This record gives sequence, C-alpha cells and structure tokens, in this order.
Amino acid sequence: MAEKTLDCLGEACPVPLVKTQKAMESMAVGDVLIVNIDHSCAMKNIPDWARSVGHAVEIEEVAEGEWNIIIQKMK
Amino acid sequence: MSDTTITIKRSTPKETPEQRARKRLIQFIASGVVLVLYILLAAFVQTKNPQGAFILLIGLGFGYILQRSRFCFTASMRDPVLTGSTSLTKAVIIALAISSVGYMALQMKATGLSLEKLGTDALKSVTQLPGHVRDAGVHTVLGGFLFGIGAVIAGGCASGTFMRMGEGFVQQWIVFIFFIIGSVIGMAVLPAIKSVPFLYQATPVYLPKLLGGWIPAIIFQFGMLFILYIIADIYGKKKSGEL
Amino acid sequence: MSEKKKYQFHELYLKKEWSYQTGAVLLALFSLALVIVTGKSWGVTGPLGMWGGWILSKLGIAVDTWAGFKATPVASYDIWKDLPALTNIGIVVGALLAVLLAAQFKIKKLKSIKNLWAAILGGLLMGIGARISLGCNIGAFFTALPAFSLHGWIFWISIFSGAAVGSKLLVKYFM
Repeated sequence: MAEKTLDCLGEACPVPLVKTQKAMESMAVGDVLIVNIDHSCAMKNIPDWARSVGHAVEIEEVAEGEWNIIIQKMK
Repeated sequence: MSDTTITIKRSTPKETPEQRARKRLIQFIASGVVLVLYILLAAFVQTKNPQGAFILLIGLGFGYILQRSRFCFTASMRDPVLTGSTSLTKAVIIALAISSVGYMALQMKATGLSLEKLGTDALKSVTQLPGHVRDAGVHTVLGGFLFGIGAVIAGGCASGTFMRMGEGFVQQWIVFIFFIIGSVIGMAVLPAIKSVPFLYQATPVYLPKLLGGWIPAIIFQFGMLFILYIIADIYGKKKSGEL
Repeated sequence: MSEKKKYQFHELYLKKEWSYQTGAVLLALFSLALVIVTGKSWGVTGPLGMWGGWILSKLGIAVDTWAGFKATPVASYDIWKDLPALTNIGIVVGALLAVLLAAQFKIKKLKSIKNLWAAILGGLLMGIGARISLGCNIGAFFTALPAFSLHGWIFWISIFSGAAVGSKLLVKYFM
C-alpha cells in the first residue's frame, strides 16, 4: 500500500482537482493520496469528485483554513 | 463505502488548539474592523447617491454568498468538460430559472401581456426593459469565446475574480490589473468591430417579440432550462459512473 | 469534546460551506432585489474599462477623444453613481468578510511563474471579450438570459465552448 502526498497549497480551482485526478489514475487500488490544500473551493470539489467515483475520503483540518484530503483508491 | 476503511495514520496538526483559537479571535476582530470601515464607506456613498448604501449592501451580499457557497460561474462551464462534474451547472440553471420568473414579472408590467406597450413612446426600445436586452450577433460569439478561454486560464470569471481578490489570492489581483487593461483595449477596438457588418449586428433580440408573444417565450425559456438541467444531470451521473 | 462544542457555533454559522443550491437561490434573489429597488441590473465588467480610461486620462492621455469612449466619456464618470462599481467593491469586501469570519484568511502567493502568465493572459482575454460581447458572465448572461434576451443564450454557448478550449490550454500550459 503506497502513500503519496500532493502539495496544492496556494493553488486555486480547478488545478488541485485536476492534479488529484491525474495522481489517482497512476495509483493502484488500496493506495492512499494525501492532498494538501488551503483553498476552500477545492475542499468542496475534490471530496465531491472522489466520493462520486467511489473512493474513500477523509478530510482533516490541519490548521484554520488548511486541510489534508485523504483519498484511498477503492477501484 | 464507509470512511473507516482508511487505515493510514493521521497527520499531525500544524496548529495547536491555542493557536487556532488565537487565529479565530484575530480574524474575528479584523472582520469587525472591515465591517465598520465598510459602513463608513456606505454612509459616505449615500451622500453622493441616494441608492448607494443599498447597492453596497447587495454587493456585500453577493460577495458573501459567492464565497460561502463556493459558487463559481467559470466552474459551471468548465467542470463538465474538465472534471465531468455538473453540480454547479445545475445550480446555475436553478438560479437562471428563478431570475427568469422575476424578470418575467417586471417585464410583463412594462410590455403588457400581449406586448402592446412595446414600441410606444413609453417603451421605444427593448433595451429599456429591466435586465440586459442587448445586441446579439457574431460579436457575442466572439466575445464570449475569448471570455471563456480567459476565465478558465485566469481561474475565475468576472465575479469570481473579485471574490478571490477578497479571499487573498495574489494571482487574482494581477488578473484584475490586466482585466482593466484588456477592457480598455476592448473599448478601443469595439468601434472598429462595430463598423464591420459581418462582425457586429446592432439588433437586440427580445425573445417574446421574436417568438410572437409571452406564452411561446415562456415555454421556450423554461423548457430549455428544464431540458438542459436534465441533460446536465444525466451527463454528470454518467461521468461519475452512476449510470 | 468540549473544544468541539465550544466552536460549534463557529463551525455551523460562520464556516460550514453552503450548498451550491443555496448559493444559487440567494444570488438570484439578491440580483432581483437589486433590479426591483434600483431599476438597474447587476453587472461587473462595465466599470473596468472606465477605471482604465480614468487612469489613462490622469496620465495625460485624452481617452475621451477615442471613438470607444464617445458614449461614456471618462470626464462625466462618477464611480459613486456606477452600480456595478459599487457591487464590485461589495463582492471583494463580502468575500473578505466571509473568509475572516471563517478564520480562513490567508494571503495566497503566486506559486510559479506559470500562474503569472495565466493571470496576464486570462485577464486580457476576459477584458477584451467582455467589451466585445457587451458584458461578462453577469451582465451578458446572469442578468441577460433571464431577461429573455437572445444574446444571453448565445453568450452562454460561446463561453461554454471558450471554457472547453481554455481547459485544454490550462492543463497543457499553465499547470
């Protein structure tokens, strides 16, 4: 089970989501991707997308206005 | 699928609860200061424009709503292609439908139920109606196409640029500067475009007039919005693998 | 647990994002309130050309002699009477207030030189496009399409195709 971190701090939509989608493509089932973001808009669209395609998602607020989105590839 | 399937360890928080509480307090006080300054501005503008304070209040509402709901017009047009998501597109269609009801009422009052007041002295041109009824033609296609490219690259449309300036994005402040420069260029070249009959059609097209009455216009407007909503819904579900 | 409870108010009323639908309904109602009370509809980009012209005129360039400024000369422009100018100020401050109340304000610096180019090119294209089509995603769309104007529908289709091209460019050159 591999773990990968994607630094998207300071990036506005849609860049974090597109990067996340690209990163997920190259990962195997069971792998985990951690996306660092500080844009509230990405906080909504990345989990929305990941859930809609069936991945497991968890959001952690590491600081006020800064989050880690943890996505596990499920299929 | 439950979230508990994630087995990795949680990352350590960057801020302690004390730091976070402090941040909340500081930003809360800052918001109070901003609000007071804004009220002073509104009081000043009110002396220049009797509707000034009201307009500023609505504007403040726009900014708050846009930020709080992460609403983005650019995303509503970009995401179907880029990420396959249509949730914002659907939301925009809802907003358009509600607005249409409002404008319909306002305009019916102005035009009369069978458009009888259109063309009279009180309402010489459809451009005087509530809302923006403006020249439609090749220039609309050209401008919209350029605007669409620009909005996606810049990471925000017109309202989105202003919203992100408020959110603290340096990139959008640069966009703002070049938006102004671009606007001046646009204003300078518009007369040249207007002089080419192929590029500019000075014909505002008002749907109730074009379609021959309010009833067909209402059927067209709400029918199209409804069809587009259904298409967006099916497309979004297909893209995410639900269908 | 007490920590959580203490900040429940903050979480719920100041921080938790609203749904897109909530945003859509409120935006439509606010935009209608504006036109009902003032008689004028919401727009965004109109003032930008005027501000640019005003700056140029202060630099000694006689923009009012240009054909493009004939209908709306800078000399008679009054920012406090310009509805979109006021709502623009409101949008910036409203968004700032929203992030401050959520304790999420942070200056987000440019990440790379690519972002700078994206900002320059995107800004220029939006400015030029908005003036040619007589409005932006608000003035030529959000308060035009619901006003039963055909150009609102045309603008929507055009901006949609522009966005598709822009997405390709963004992924290829600006990421």
